[in-house]
Amino acid sequence: MSDRITVEELSELMKRTAGVTVSPEELAERTDTAFEEFGIDSLGLLGIVGELENRHGTQMPPDAEHCKTPRKFLDLVNSTLLAGA
Amino acid sequence: MSAPGTRRAVVTGIGVVAPNGTTAETFWKATQEGVTVLDRITREGCGQLPLKVAGQVPSFDASAVIEERILVQTDRFTHFALAAADEALQDARLGRADTEGAPFSAGVVTAAGSGGGEFGQRELQKLWGKGSRYVGPWQSIAWFYAASTGQISIRRGFKGPCSVVAADEAGGLDALAHAARAVARGTDVLVAGSTEAPLAPYSMVCQLGYGELSPVTDPQRAYRPFTGDASGFVPAEGGAMLVVEDERAARARGVPVRAVIAGHAATFTGAGRWELSRQGLAEAIRGALAQAGCAPEEVDVVFADALGTPQADRAEALAIADALGAHGRQVPVTAPKTGIGRAYCAAPVLDAAAAVLALEHGLIPPTPNVADICHDLDLVTGRARPAPVRTALVLSRGLMGSNSALVLRHGV
Repeated sequence: MSDRITVEELSELMKRTAGVTVSPEELAERTDTAFEEFGIDSLGLLGIVGELENRHGTQMPPDAEHCKTPRKFLDLVNSTLLAGA
Repeated sequence: MSAPGTRRAVVTGIGVVAPNGTTAETFWKATQEGVTVLDRITREGCGQLPLKVAGQVPSFDASAVIEERILVQTDRFTHFALAAADEALQDARLGRADTEGAPFSAGVVTAAGSGGGEFGQRELQKLWGKGSRYVGPWQSIAWFYAASTGQISIRRGFKGPCSVVAADEAGGLDALAHAARAVARGTDVLVAGSTEAPLAPYSMVCQLGYGELSPVTDPQRAYRPFTGDASGFVPAEGGAMLVVEDERAARARGVPVRAVIAGHAATFTGAGRWELSRQGLAEAIRGALAQAGCAPEEVDVVFADALGTPQADRAEALAIADALGAHGRQVPVTAPKTGIGRAYCAAPVLDAAAAVLALEHGLIPPTPNVADICHDLDLVTGRARPAPVRTALVLSRGLMGSNSALVLRHGV
């Protein structure tokens, strides 16, 4: 499994690992809003990265957990998954 | 800011999550009625363990009082702490807006003995069951003793002195004293206390080696300190948080001063050396009374540690006699924890909360399940005893050898 990570999957992970509820629709509209503003700090993002790595069986680049916004995060992890496919 | 030494620390708020009540009000009602809630342990995964009886907090819905974002990163002991802190702050009429303008004037101090065992066990099971990549990042903070202090301060935006007292069960009293010292040094308000959640399989296994645990499986007979049937103690979960505040700040805000934290002292006499705790506890009592400027005869009620083994009970009864002299045989002594169990570091904080409420209501709560005292003590049993209580002495000892005494005086 190494298809693209969607806004839907990110939204679900934000809820499951960080306890932050943002609907996929809202997240799609606010991809340039900082994770911090959604209430996700560095440990929260680290948990999301870990879960993604386990699901996709691929290691994410170290920068993934430092991405400031959902857009930067999705761009980075998806380019990683694309390169690995 | 006043000069050090001129600031008095007072209690302005109480929050409780206890086996017999999940608010200060319900806790006090059950405590003064002498209700006993000790029962067979029903928490998941604990059925096969030889420890059978405890004081469990029933029907506590953490998701009703704590945001999901915080829930996923915290253990049950921190859920209790956050809920109790909320209640205490509300009781003290301290809203977010009251501390926002001066975040460095507010701090937190807690004590913890068990930490976040349930959360930790879940993550360790992932570690050994699936591998290190499946351990979530929150493990790094959730099972740590300091988790509750950290989460309360972050959630409330408190940037004043924040600390954790690791000093055995008696650390619960030491945390209140630590808060009083922080007030004396210039901090206006602290949330101080302890909560524990040691009733999960891993945490319970950690306790099985304690020789002082009661092996009795009948909940009504398992924890009967100061009697010929004393066979050890029963553990409990839950705890209490107090708002400890500079008296002048409290009066300026126009909130009632519930009690004054007047004196405290602590000693150490070694793990399980209960005979020596006689001397250690007596010395702590003397130190606390000296700091409070309080004569032994002024003590109106003693909240006993009441460990529940013959040796420890005898040491405590003698310590009270040693430190209070003839008054030690006349002063009412109570141990309401026999109705709810002994919540480790949180046990003496629950006693301190009950002591403040006893001062306010002029009512000494009884010692449930206990009758036929075999020590020279006036233990309050059966029903609550009305009495003009102005000064309360709260005692605590830890299984690892700490002894602590706290003097609380009426607020008005």
